[in-house]
Amino acid sequence: MHHVVVERWSRGSSPLHARDARAKAGALLAFLIAVSTTAPGAQAAFAAYAGLLAVAILAARLPLSALARRAALVLPFSATFALLTWWAGDPVRAIALAERSFLCGLAALLLIATTPANVLLHGLESLGVPRALILVIQFLYRYLFVISEQAQHMRLAASSRQGLNFRAAAGALSALFARSWERADGIYQAMLSRGFSGRFPMISAARFGAMDAAFLFVAIATSAGIRLAL
Amino acid sequence: MHIPDGFLSPPVWGVFDAVAVPAVGLVARRAQLQMEDRKIPLLGVMGAFVFAAQMINFPVGPGTSGHLVGGALLTIALGPAAASIVMTAILAIQALVFQDGGILALGANIFNMAIAGVLAAYLPYRLWANLSRPFAIFAAGVLSVMTSACLALAELTISGVPMPRRVLWMSMGLFLISAVMEGAITLAAVRAIERLNPAWARSPKGAGSRVVAAMAMGAVVLAVVGILVASTNPDGIQQLAAAHAPAWMHAPLADYQVHGIESAWLRRAAAGVAGLALIYGVCIMTGKLIGKQRNA
Repeated sequence: MHHVVVERWSRGSSPLHARDARAKAGALLAFLIAVSTTAPGAQAAFAAYAGLLAVAILAARLPLSALARRAALVLPFSATFALLTWWAGDPVRAIALAERSFLCGLAALLLIATTPANVLLHGLESLGVPRALILVIQFLYRYLFVISEQAQHMRLAASSRQGLNFRAAAGALSALFARSWERADGIYQAMLSRGFSGRFPMISAARFGAMDAAFLFVAIATSAGIRLAL
Repeated sequence: MHIPDGFLSPPVWGVFDAVAVPAVGLVARRAQLQMEDRKIPLLGVMGAFVFAAQMINFPVGPGTSGHLVGGALLTIALGPAAASIVMTAILAIQALVFQDGGILALGANIFNMAIAGVLAAYLPYRLWANLSRPFAIFAAGVLSVMTSACLALAELTISGVPMPRRVLWMSMGLFLISAVMEGAITLAAVRAIERLNPAWARSPKGAGSRVVAAMAMGAVVLAVVGILVASTNPDGIQQLAAAHAPAWMHAPLADYQVHGIESAWLRRAAAGVAGLALIYGVCIMTGKLIGKQRNA
């Protein structure tokens, strides 16, 4: 499996990449709250939010259209409920559902596209997310691609024979389960022998500097300003 | 069904975030205390397994296929606390990296799938494993999917996403089909896993507190059905209350008349969940006190 493109984006360098993960997480939260409390039909506000995101994406030197296409993955779900709402006689609200979910998805994508996953998780841990949960997420993310590739190989092998029926699928699941379980044992032994002490070390310590505080302040002020003024 | 941002109204996502944060903290602390360090990589890798397992599709009918959701399988293999953590980790990765489910809606999604969904798998498994193990495993799969789906539907409806009766019944039917499929594939997978290594599927320990488990399961079922009925038919319940309730029950509602029925419902729902949050708080405090006594 190809390494996810988001991971490549997050290794870039830009003023936005350089900000502390906690500042970016706080900015995202402010933006999301502003968007999701904006009244349906406030098209000027939604346009301003979209403009704000576009400026941020360009400042991060990321491809605008590629990010927008990826965030559009949320639209099939939104469109279903938007159609329902439209039929129920509320087109303004229907459009707002699609707008809000797309803007929120794009904003979340921008966070992970400018922050490597391990840096973000480290930041979240220092904000008080339990260590056990952070560690599980770290391991999950690291082995996601390994095990997914294994699953794809199994699917390919099955489809080159006769395809998966229900029983074969159950068998494939149990084989994948067994391999994952045994892999986990091996991982723990290997990590212990490399001196794993219960947390992943960071090469450089995260530092919340004046620039980060300024960024957070500007992000909150702009989001709140659009929400209140438009 | 992962709810994206922009669908839930602020009181709904706010309340569910407020409930999910202490719940996840509690479960994480519990898991951290109970398990040795060696289990942490196991939980992460099993989360990756559930992710990958969703790629293995099997045909269900003409032109449609299903896949494992995984909550019940995790609960049976790892126990409820660990399964909750793993499901939470999966939902967090899906929301952060894959834009599958919202950030503000993460609390609601965690509540639906990692807390209520896992509980709805664990309780029947624990309760009925002695009667008939295959049935208990099947029921765990069915109930976990059904509970999560009903809760998601109810949250959307409470948030004001219109849900015509016909659409509602249709989606309930679809959910039921996928729930039965989850039960069947969970049972088949657990059996195949047990053939490889019987130690991998845990048997629920001790039948000591079956009454408590039965009550808890009754509460889960009642809560789900109640929320769903209440959210689809607030007027009906209001009328029922107006017709049958004694006079003193009308009094607290009088103040809400100005804001209309909907906000009265919202407030009552919020009050209910605030009560729940209070109970969580008390549980955490007692846990801490007991922990201190033990250490002393």
